[in-house]
Amino acid sequence: MSQFTEYKDLIQEGDIALIWISRGNIKAVTIDSKETFNTRYGSFQHSDMIGKPYGSQIAIRTRGTGRFAFIHVLQPTPELWTLSLPHRTQIVYTPDSSYIMQRMNCSPHTRVIEAGTGSGSFSHAFARTVQQLYTYEFHPVRYEQAKEEFKKHGILDENVIITHRDVCEDGFTIKPTDTTSAQFSEEEITSGMKQLNATAVFLDLPAPWDAIHHLDKVIATDEQVHVCCFSPCIEQVDKTIESLENNGWTQIEMVEIQGRQYESRRQMVRSMEDAMQRCRDIKRRKKEGIEKKQSLIEREENNNTTSTNTEHTQREPFTEKAKFNPFGKGIRVKEGDPGYKWKQVTKIESEIKSHTSYLTFAIKLVDKTRNETLVQECLNETK
Amino acid sequence: MDSSKLDPLKQIALDQFVIITLPSEKCKIVELKGNTSVSLGKFGAFHVNDIVGYPLGTKFEIYYDSETVETIGGDEPVKPNKKNKITKVNIGKVRIVEKDTKRDDGLDNVGNSHNNKELINLGSDIQKMTSDDIEALKKQSTSANEIISKIIESHGTFDKKTLFSQEKYLKRKKQKFDKQFVVNYLSANLLLQYLIDKNDIQRIMDMSEESIGMLLNLANIRPNGTYLCMDETGGLLIYFLLERMFGGDDTTGATGKIVVVHENEHPNFDLLKYSNYSEKFIAEHVIPISILEYFEPRTVEEVELDFKPLSREEVSELKSGAKNTYFRKLKWHKIHLQAIDVATKWVYDGLVVATTLHLPTLLPQLGKRVHGSRPIVCYSQFKEVLLELSHTLYDDLNYLAPTIIETKCRPYQSIRGRIHPLMTMKGGGGYLLWCHKVIPAPEPELIPTESVPNNDKGDTVEK
Repeated sequence: MSQFTEYKDLIQEGDIALIWISRGNIKAVTIDSKETFNTRYGSFQHSDMIGKPYGSQIAIRTRGTGRFAFIHVLQPTPELWTLSLPHRTQIVYTPDSSYIMQRMNCSPHTRVIEAGTGSGSFSHAFARTVQQLYTYEFHPVRYEQAKEEFKKHGILDENVIITHRDVCEDGFTIKPTDTTSAQFSEEEITSGMKQLNATAVFLDLPAPWDAIHHLDKVIATDEQVHVCCFSPCIEQVDKTIESLENNGWTQIEMVEIQGRQYESRRQMVRSMEDAMQRCRDIKRRKKEGIEKKQSLIEREENNNTTSTNTEHTQREPFTEKAKFNPFGKGIRVKEGDPGYKWKQVTKIESEIKSHTSYLTFAIKLVDKTRNETLVQECLNETK
Repeated sequence: MDSSKLDPLKQIALDQFVIITLPSEKCKIVELKGNTSVSLGKFGAFHVNDIVGYPLGTKFEIYYDSETVETIGGDEPVKPNKKNKITKVNIGKVRIVEKDTKRDDGLDNVGNSHNNKELINLGSDIQKMTSDDIEALKKQSTSANEIISKIIESHGTFDKKTLFSQEKYLKRKKQKFDKQFVVNYLSANLLLQYLIDKNDIQRIMDMSEESIGMLLNLANIRPNGTYLCMDETGGLLIYFLLERMFGGDDTTGATGKIVVVHENEHPNFDLLKYSNYSEKFIAEHVIPISILEYFEPRTVEEVELDFKPLSREEVSELKSGAKNTYFRKLKWHKIHLQAIDVATKWVYDGLVVATTLHLPTLLPQLGKRVHGSRPIVCYSQFKEVLLELSHTLYDDLNYLAPTIIETKCRPYQSIRGRIHPLMTMKGGGGYLLWCHKVIPAPEPELIPTESVPNNDKGDTVEK
């Protein structure tokens, strides 16, 4: 059973879990009752997690300070995995990957080719949804790492086949002699290759035009096939379009996806009336201060004529403590402090991904014929 | 798959809804019935039997020869009684468009100009053919290419145009005179596109393909999950979920279910009528429940007070009329009992919401029966609505890291050497709020030997 394709209720020994420490700090761990998970806030025993439902908050008091610290234990999903994974390469993020999957109509009927595997982020998202994923990686170390990871995550046994291959040089066919995770049936051994019949192709390669012409051997011929080429530069797009046109792909369209995240914040509502009132207050206090001082001086001058005691003249004039301070000036006010009025606002992330890659889509339909006898039978049935 | 039948996921089959793309890039949804014909208005008409069996996505061209005499009433399914004039459309034959490239060969034989300095705007005088001439040509049922090349020939200053504007001119004319059309599988994407083109933005809450695509991924939709859903789009969101879970196929054996909470007496799944799932399949996998039934479920006792199932012997003694009534009542009884389970026992693998109900009060209630660690994704046309929700969820320890997300697709003119973003694109497309259901821990006991901390809040309180 794969952690990535089945919903689990409880955290169990041997599970791969994602530990959420904070946004941007999510760690994958294998649950082992003898282990502890250490953070700078304290240590969390795996044994405290085992048996609890996924999503549980695990709380501790740290030994030194006695502070309350906690983490959340989550079951991995492809999207959470994307946020936590070890980057072997630049990865395809969720705004791009989700659009690509939707546009290529990915469903339990789709057989996908992905080249290259890279960090395997998109592979996990494909594997969740599609019937079969064929992924190719030309870098030998990354191939091994990805294969191990897919195995550990249980998706290699389900619907993922990874092959070590430079697809630009050697195309996409998978033969029994290749370095691949594929298992071959008797029939496939006799025919010397796997029948891929891919219905969707994702090419994340520096030179997709060197790979496009190899696709004809491995794509389905009796139904529409979608392709998406993922390239950061416009010059690559131009060459990709040329290659797609020359190889019979149609409905070519390039798009760009812009994903944005917003922070929910609050801004203090500071009314004009309060601002004016505050000015009046300052003015009044200033005036009163001067008046008080003056009256004091006057009184003391009067007193001076009757008394020689000058102690009183040294005293500071009395000031009232409660200033009119509607905006909390001079105090540290926490955003959202219930003593003040707030307006809910959004703020865009301080750094946004302004460009990931251009997505060039196209469609190919190889066999545009129909089975006349079958059609006749169907028509006869409808009288 | 039964090989003696057409596969409606791959081929154009009978009794299937398909979506036809016209030369004008407009779309039309058609249910294909054997031995009938389909009119595409000014673009012509064709016999359904002529296209059945070809793969979905095939591009056809309507052509006419001397044998064509049959006619069909105009484009009535789209706009009935347009100006009370029902025009007859000739039913043509179809042929497959083999070569389907973007580049236009029509311009090979005409000259062009590097710039437009010699181009003077003379209005319609520049065209020597009158609209009557063109109409006459159309009546002769000449092919689109012939009409267009005649128009170009009679165009006084066509060679003074730059290549760029020539291509634009050609594209415009093709959209007008071409008789080519593509028959596509009615995917959720194309249904959405169709509704957008029809300007049904309000009905579909201004959703974009990219927003729904991201919603499906963030909600981790799988074939075997049980999802809680609110859908105010008349079933569009449910169709997207169904397509992602089952790929248009009743027979995958996947066990996923979608519980749909609706706010009227009856749910509105209008758009599902276009889907190719059987009624039985939909009844099994899409379970509607009213918001009242969900939040104030009846008790089993109450339901059983209304109706008591009979024993087998008692049933067999019923007369046939009474038997039918009995079984209909039994069916409803079972639905009522299931509704209680749905509201009180089922635990959900995800919550997906597209509603205009007040979210800060609704969502924490709907979230109660969502399993820990499962995603919650809420769609709204307006960011401010999700902002209010996100503040509410921030203060609720049952929800982890609410995040407001926007995604936008920017399409480009995708012609070599002339790549640039399109001049106009759709605004809107909505926003998503994404978070995970979590289970807060009770505050742990103080460690007795330690001094009492002065900061009880802890410093990892970060969401």
